[in-house]
Amino acid sequence: MSAIDWIVLLGTLLFIVLYGSWKTRQSKNIRGYLLGDNNMKWATIGLSVMATQASAITFISTPGQAYESGMGFIQNYFGLPIALIIISAVFIPIYYRLKVYTAYEYLESRFGIENRLLAAFLFLLQRGLAAGITIYAPAIILSTALGWNLSLTILMVGILVIFYTVSGGTKAVSLTQKWQMGVILLGMVLAFIMIVNSLPTGVSFGDAVSVAGVLDKLEAVSFSFDPSERYTFWSGITGGLFLALSYFGTDQSQVQRYLGGKSVYESRMGLMFNALLKIPMQFFILFTGVMTFVFFQFQGAPVLFNKTAIEKVYEGPRAGEMQEIEADYKLSLETKQEAIQDLLAAKKSENESALGAAADHLRNTHKASEEIRDKAKTLVKEAVPDNNSKDSDYIFLTFILNHLPMGLIGLLLAVIFSAAMSSTAGELNALAATTTVDFYKRLVKKDGSDRHYLRASKMMTAGWGMIAITFALFAHLVENLIEAVNILGSIFYGTILGIFLVAFFLKNVRGRPTFFAAICAQITVIFLYIFYSDVIAYLWYNVIGCGLVIVLSLIFSLIIPPKSNPEPVEEG
Amino acid sequence: MKSESPQEEKHQAPPFFKSWPGMYLFVLGFMGFLILMMLWFSSSNTI
Repeated sequence: MSAIDWIVLLGTLLFIVLYGSWKTRQSKNIRGYLLGDNNMKWATIGLSVMATQASAITFISTPGQAYESGMGFIQNYFGLPIALIIISAVFIPIYYRLKVYTAYEYLESRFGIENRLLAAFLFLLQRGLAAGITIYAPAIILSTALGWNLSLTILMVGILVIFYTVSGGTKAVSLTQKWQMGVILLGMVLAFIMIVNSLPTGVSFGDAVSVAGVLDKLEAVSFSFDPSERYTFWSGITGGLFLALSYFGTDQSQVQRYLGGKSVYESRMGLMFNALLKIPMQFFILFTGVMTFVFFQFQGAPVLFNKTAIEKVYEGPRAGEMQEIEADYKLSLETKQEAIQDLLAAKKSENESALGAAADHLRNTHKASEEIRDKAKTLVKEAVPDNNSKDSDYIFLTFILNHLPMGLIGLLLAVIFSAAMSSTAGELNALAATTTVDFYKRLVKKDGSDRHYLRASKMMTAGWGMIAITFALFAHLVENLIEAVNILGSIFYGTILGIFLVAFFLKNVRGRPTFFAAICAQITVIFLYIFYSDVIAYLWYNVIGCGLVIVLSLIFSLIIPPKSNPEPVEEG
Repeated sequence: MKSESPQEEKHQAPPFFKSWPGMYLFVLGFMGFLILMMLWFSSSNTI
């Protein structure tokens, strides 16, 4: 990296951190610290919700995902607008009416304390681990690609986030997220423009899109009912809907972003902002990945993008095999580039049959080069068994580091760090809120002063930050870590969502049946994960967990007698 | 579940729409439009 890139990277990050901390240094009470004095307008809420969800992995891995598998991943987000509408219509008015700090406070007013503590505990367990992964995942990829010390990278991200999140609470989180989203959007737009500008002379944007289309990178929507197909319209509308409903409606890291709104109107508009813009934003990120793919077809791509893994193979006994694979791949790329030129010539000639033949030829050459790439991946897996990263995670980084001008490299790295920090900040803020309000204030010290709880919240924020950093520092001991956050979420989210849906919609079901239903549902989902994870894709655990809570709570209502002291009933 | 009072809802309606259901329908309609655009985009570039 050049000096200019370092200046841009560090300058951007430090400016946002210092500005955010300075502007929000005066938290006077716990409502200000955790809910921003309920002063936030919809644009801030909308950007904050978006920034909390879009972690660094979104910007590192998603373009790489599109490079290898096309646009189909967009379907995972089809349930999101529907989920946000349900939350806007049903969840938000209830949270506001009860003036809760956390989503789980509502459960006590509806069911009693056991369900509140169970849901809060599951949230802390799941989100606490996820906060460590949010820091670790980009750090491992950046340190591998750039040669940075992994522990120092983790510490840098973690300490910067703790600094402003402890100092300014939710206001600092939201303010910095606005700036971070600005950096992210600017960086991604500039990267896209650079990709299009870097196409060879004579190759237009339309030509590039045609190449992507021929190689099946543009198929975004599939109505297939084939269960082996990973991303379809149906899985997005069902599994994706339940995941989004649980994440945005019951995960405190998101609920806290919109509970700080000035009114129900501001919170709703913040969510509708996301409902309208999330799919286009994801489409743009995926499409950037597709254009990166086309760019590398003309530019020439390495057989694998994880250079460190290839270097490790060359240090071992199977170096000769890798050398052969790289030579074969280079030849296959040259054949493919000729096939692309034939396609573009046929396109210009407007000869349908020539175009069809050229398209078939290109698909065949692409298939041949992909088979060589698969051989390389297999060789790496066998020769370097401790390499856990997916090669696709290095594709966009390779483009950034090798093909962007000075200054823009620093900006794109700032994008990745901004995304990591914005997500982590939202998570720490929420973990602290739940620990302080649902456990400390509710169970340990019930009659403290406002100042006392403000101090406690700051200490909890710092404490959870240390836990997240510690977990990230030791995370290399766990395999398949980047997938872990999705699996973790899906294991616990269904149960938590089920409790909330029973609370909102099944008014005759009381706390004890719901509590026991949730326990049974959670044990079942964990059992299914341990013994049937190859049969059931983890996206479906949300649906199963939620469905079980609802069905079992209805059944248990008939069996379990009500308590002799009636439980608190939701006001109104 | 008690809904907000009609007075509150009246003051908190989203811009351009007369009510929140109107806004929600717009969002769903926009989502449908995006899906159609994606289908058109991929089919018009498939050979």
